[in-house]
Amino acid sequence: MHGLQLEAVSNAVLAPLDLSLAPGEALAILGPSGAGKSTLLKIIAGLLPHRGRVIFAGRDLTGVPPHARRIGYMSQDLHLFPHLSVAANLRLPLLFSGLSRREQTARIHRTLDLCAIAHRAGRRPATLSGGERQRAALARTLAMRPRLILLDEPFATLDGATKRGLWHELDRLRRGLGMSALIVTHDPEEAAALADRQVHLNHGQLNAAAIGTLRQARRPQPAAGSAYYLCNLHTNYAEPQNGAPNVLNDERR
Amino acid sequence: MPGLALLVWVPLVAVVATILGALGALIAELPPASLIEALAAPETRFAVGLSLRASLTALGLALLLGVPTAWLIARRRFRGKALVETVLDLPMVTPPLVAGIGLMLLLGHEAPAGRALSGLGVEILFSPAGVILAQTYIATSVIVRAARAAFGAVDRGYGDSAATLGVPPFWRFLLVEIPIAGRALMAAAVLGWARALGEFGATLMVAGATRLHTETLPMAVYLNMASGRIDIAIACALVLLALAFALLLALRLLSAEKPDPLHDEDPHARIAA
Repeated sequence: MHGLQLEAVSNAVLAPLDLSLAPGEALAILGPSGAGKSTLLKIIAGLLPHRGRVIFAGRDLTGVPPHARRIGYMSQDLHLFPHLSVAANLRLPLLFSGLSRREQTARIHRTLDLCAIAHRAGRRPATLSGGERQRAALARTLAMRPRLILLDEPFATLDGATKRGLWHELDRLRRGLGMSALIVTHDPEEAAALADRQVHLNHGQLNAAAIGTLRQARRPQPAAGSAYYLCNLHTNYAEPQNGAPNVLNDERR
Repeated sequence: MPGLALLVWVPLVAVVATILGALGALIAELPPASLIEALAAPETRFAVGLSLRASLTALGLALLLGVPTAWLIARRRFRGKALVETVLDLPMVTPPLVAGIGLMLLLGHEAPAGRALSGLGVEILFSPAGVILAQTYIATSVIVRAARAAFGAVDRGYGDSAATLGVPPFWRFLLVEIPIAGRALMAAAVLGWARALGEFGATLMVAGATRLHTETLPMAVYLNMASGRIDIAIACALVLLALAFALLLALRLLSAEKPDPLHDEDPHARIAA
C-alpha cells in the first residue's frame, strides 16, 4: 500500500483537512492564488510545520525530515542547481540513494532518455530553453523513483503547445513508473490532462462539492508539431497490465 | 546642468587626484635602485613572508568560523538572533586598537582564558600566533557580514529541492548552498584577506611590534617610519599597495558577469563527473 492519507492537516494557512490518494492515482488540486495549494504540497514534502498527520505508504511522516520521506517534489521555479550540468543535477541526489556508481549512471541515462533531455545532459540549466528546463527538473524528480510526486504548477511558465506536449508525456511517464501524483494547478485543462480526480481548495479549505472524476476521454493529445519522444516508453517501459510490475518499478530501491 | 556637473565632477577629480597623488608621492620618494635594495632587505622579506603566512592562516580560520556562522544567521531563526547579529557586527565598527586591548586583556596571564592557555603551553600574546589571532578576529567579522548577504541572496528553494530529493542537511550546505553562493563567498574571502593583510591596531596590541618576530607589513611601515628607515617603510608600503590592488582587481573580476555559457559549453559533454 503506497497511498497517501492526510488526517486533519492544518497550519496558519490551511483549515484542518482530510484527503486520501490511492496508489497510482493522480489528483489535481485547483484553486485561486493564495488558496493554500502550494502550502499543502510543502507540508506533505516536509518543508513546512503543520498540525495533523501525513501518512504515506502506511508510515506516519510526522517529524520525518524531507530528505528521508522519499516523496518527489517539483516546485514551480524548478530550482535546478545552476552550478551543475543536467546530468549532475540527477547525479547529486543519487549519491545518497545507496545505488552503486554504475547503477547511478544507468539510472541517469535511462531517466534522461525517458524525459527526452539526454541530448542536453552536459548543459548547465541556464543554457536550456523553458521546456528543456521543465524536462530536466522532471527527470531529476523521477530519477529518485519516488512512489509519490508533488508537482506545483509544473508548466505554468510554458506556452500552450509546449505545455500540452509535456502534459501528455508526464501522464505517460507517471503511469509507466506507477507513481501517485498530487498536481497543483489553476488550469482546469491541465487538471483534466494530468489527473484522475480533482479537488478545489479555496481560502485554505477543501471544497468537497467540487470533488469530481475526470474522464480519460477529456485528456488532450499533444499539439501537432510538439516534441513527442515517448516511443521508448511504449516499447521499453510499457504501463503495467493488470497490476504486473514493469521494468522501472523493478528498479526501485 | 553646469551646476550639477560642477557638483559631481569636482569631488570626483579631487578624490582621484588625492589617491593618485599619495600613490605617486610614495613611488617617487625612492630612486628605483634604492627601492629594489629596500625590497630585497631581510626585514622587508621577513615582513612579506609573515604577512602572507599569517593572513592566509587567518583567512582559513575566518572562513571556517565565518561561513557556517553566516549561513546560520541567514537561514535560521532563533531566540536572541538580533542581539547575536549586533555582537557579530561589533568588530566592524569598533576601532581595531580597542578590539586589540580587549583580546590582550582576555588572553593575559591575569585572565582565566590566558591562564588556561598558559597551562596548556600555548602563548599567544606577543607572538606570531597573536598576529594570526588579531587578523582572524578582524577578518571573521568582515567575512560573516559579506557571507551572510551571499547566503541571503540564494533562493531557499534550492536547499528545499535538494532536501526533497534526499540530500541530507550537511551535504545540502556543502554541495548546494556553498557552490551557488560561490562567487559572492569568494568575494567575501578576498575582502577578509585584504582586511587581514592590512590589520594594524589589534595586531599591535595582541602581538606587539617586535622587529623580525611579529613584524607584519603594516608593522614594518610603523617601526621603520619611527626609526627613520624611510626606504624600508616605503618598500613595505608599496608591497601592501600592490597586494591591495591585486585583491581589488580579483574582487572586481569576481563581481563581473559571467560570459554566456552557451558559447563555451559542449553539448555532448560528459554525463556528470
